[in-house]
Amino acid sequence: MTQLPPSSSQVEQSIGQQAVPSSSRNPNYSLRYTLSGHRQSISSLKFSPDGSMLASAGADKLIKLWDGITGQILDTLQGHTEGISDIAWASNGEYLASASDDKTIRIWSVEERDEVKTLNGHTNFVFCVNYNPNSNLLVSGGFDETVRIWDIARGKPLKILPAHSDPVTAVSFNHDGTLVVSCAMDGLIRIWDAESGQCLKTLVDDDNPICSYARFSPNSRFVLASTQDSTIRLWNYQTSKCVKTYTGHSNRTYCIPACFITSNGKYIVSGSEDNKIFIWDLQTRQVLQVLEGHRGTCGYPIP
Amino acid sequence: MNESLINPFTLSHPTAVQTSLFAGATFAKFDPTGRFIASAARLAFSVQIWDLETRAPIRWLDGHVKAITNIDWSRNSRYLLTSSRDWNAIIWDLSSPCDPPQRHGSLRFDAPVVSAYFHPKNSQIILALLATGEAYVCDLRKQNRSRIELLETITDEGIEEEENNGQGVMRSPMTVARFDPTGKNIFVGTASGSILVFNTRTKTMIARHKISGAGAMKGFDFAKSGRRLVSNSSDRTLRQFILPSYSNPPTDTELLEQSQPPFLDLELEPTHRFNDPINRTAWHAMCYSPDGDWLAGGAADPSGHKIYIWDISNDGQLASPLDGGREPLLHLHWHPTRSLLASTTNMGNILIWHHPNPERWGAFAGGFEEVDENVEYEEREDEFDIEDEEVQFQRKMKAEEEEVDIDTIVTGAQAAVLGGLGTLSGNMGGAATPIGTGPSGNYSMDIDKLGSGMGDDIEAAWAEEEPDTDIRGAWKMKVIMDSEEASEYY
Repeated sequence: MTQLPPSSSQVEQSIGQQAVPSSSRNPNYSLRYTLSGHRQSISSLKFSPDGSMLASAGADKLIKLWDGITGQILDTLQGHTEGISDIAWASNGEYLASASDDKTIRIWSVEERDEVKTLNGHTNFVFCVNYNPNSNLLVSGGFDETVRIWDIARGKPLKILPAHSDPVTAVSFNHDGTLVVSCAMDGLIRIWDAESGQCLKTLVDDDNPICSYARFSPNSRFVLASTQDSTIRLWNYQTSKCVKTYTGHSNRTYCIPACFITSNGKYIVSGSEDNKIFIWDLQTRQVLQVLEGHRGTCGYPIP
Repeated sequence: MNESLINPFTLSHPTAVQTSLFAGATFAKFDPTGRFIASAARLAFSVQIWDLETRAPIRWLDGHVKAITNIDWSRNSRYLLTSSRDWNAIIWDLSSPCDPPQRHGSLRFDAPVVSAYFHPKNSQIILALLATGEAYVCDLRKQNRSRIELLETITDEGIEEEENNGQGVMRSPMTVARFDPTGKNIFVGTASGSILVFNTRTKTMIARHKISGAGAMKGFDFAKSGRRLVSNSSDRTLRQFILPSYSNPPTDTELLEQSQPPFLDLELEPTHRFNDPINRTAWHAMCYSPDGDWLAGGAADPSGHKIYIWDISNDGQLASPLDGGREPLLHLHWHPTRSLLASTTNMGNILIWHHPNPERWGAFAGGFEEVDENVEYEEREDEFDIEDEEVQFQRKMKAEEEEVDIDTIVTGAQAAVLGGLGTLSGNMGGAATPIGTGPSGNYSMDIDKLGSGMGDDIEAAWAEEEPDTDIRGAWKMKVIMDSEEASEYY
């Protein structure tokens, strides 16, 4: 349910559509707006890179754009024929990509508020999608157990990686676009060379829990991974060692993303299946704040 | 970032063709950020910009009406300078949102333009060489707007000789003109086999190097440090020189008038000569690798596509000849940071050479490491002891108290060292590179170390007056979607 933009000033806004900037080191978020409009559960929620807009998508096949400051609805994009699982902003905020159960990825022009491209190729539900930093490539993963790298301008797949043996739950580039991290329900986290498509590393926990989300740290030296044993781990992928574990929340069924906050103080944030949002201190692993207010499971259901 | 996982310590030269681009090009050059290739089309007189990640053309620059002779990128790749036989040089701005991009500026000369280069520190200073053998420095900045011809200073003895001929002062036509990597000096090669060095700021000649036996100069390339120069000349030999340090002309105009500007007349002896002893083939192009350890030479062999790579750090030994098939080579260029070469064939194809990494299948299995040779495993004394889970958990929690650094960006080799040792934090601050600085040239050789004096600061300050708008990371090339019909075409 939570997805933070890389830029700082708007970070507070994203915590489940609520915010007041905190002044001290301790996070002190409070509810600012409640945005309602989706008719079915929301699966993905992301701020634009400059924080001016918020995009949400869900099982009702719609993408809604909201004003990032005032919370006003700006537009609704429709076109997908099945529910949407994930959305991603291009780094300049001009385009939005959406991954859907209709097996397509669609690219939307934010300026024209219209679809500009459909990427066909996945043979089953597309579950996750992300841009590279130059926004000329897109990486996607889905229930066909592949990771695909796309040339967006031409709408063609560049690489199809037979990445996992179960649905791919998250995939993203690192900060300079040379690496891709993917994770899947087979419990593996794999790191790939974006250019050659070679697998460079596989991380796996001893108990092999279903891995529901993975992303690189801002400097790409660590991988943050959520697993469905209600644990979030920070991995040093060079040494294949888990350097931090964050617990306290509940996550056994859904794929809930986890994020870094680096604006004022360094935190880890994630949703929980007990309708709350948890914020941990990056270093001490203590829960600093728990945000309540959502009804129903916080996080996005697997379609 | 990926280097540390692939293979951090073996930097090698390209060995195999990775892709070929059907560009219809006469030559192709990587940009300084390493994301693009610009190629000059043979028939349309236009320039194509290729995205190296998608291997697809993303921009077409149309503006010349005759063959394009040279392409140069500004230092952060925002601007492109093309020179043509149609007597024009055109500056293009790739950040322009419209497609096709409009010209940002153009310069008109009185003869076909052989080459035009941006000053390495300011794209508003341009060095142009004309087919008539004259070189001009064009300054487009408002304060300094000028176009000054570079004139060879004829020494006294020279004048006497010329007077004996009764023809007055005769200057040998210039055939190559390049900025050095700092932009402080301009190196000009002449048809009579000399290298002339001009100061960029004052446009005065500060040195002349006679190269015996070279014949007409055909091309220059500098190692990144600017300390080494390789020349191509009509005697079918590539010569590498270690450049002496050049004095700076005085800054004060008065002083300049009073004193004779320091002048260096020195015959340079090459440290290495590279030629083909058997076929005596000439060279179309040569290029240093980014670290300066390798030199690639493209042979003007009509029967095949041959690239020779010499190992400069190993006394210039031939490392390997690369064979790119039957289409003869026209041009070659080394990627600014990686082990990639782009060579252009006479059929217009651009071959991209890389150094393939063997697939490591062990990477697919979690917790496995591939080792190069058998290692005798020594079991720890307590390895299979039954331990209380509580104690184990406590130990893990203890280990997790170590601080982690999630936002300091560490570049390739350093990351590998840090990762390999398994040190996690604490002392990291000193070794880390702040965001924004690129990979530093850790591998450069001793001779590349350049003593920077006071004078260099003056030259740099002069060049950076009225800075251009080509700022690192401050511009973006818009991703333009192909229309559906066009995408069918590829």
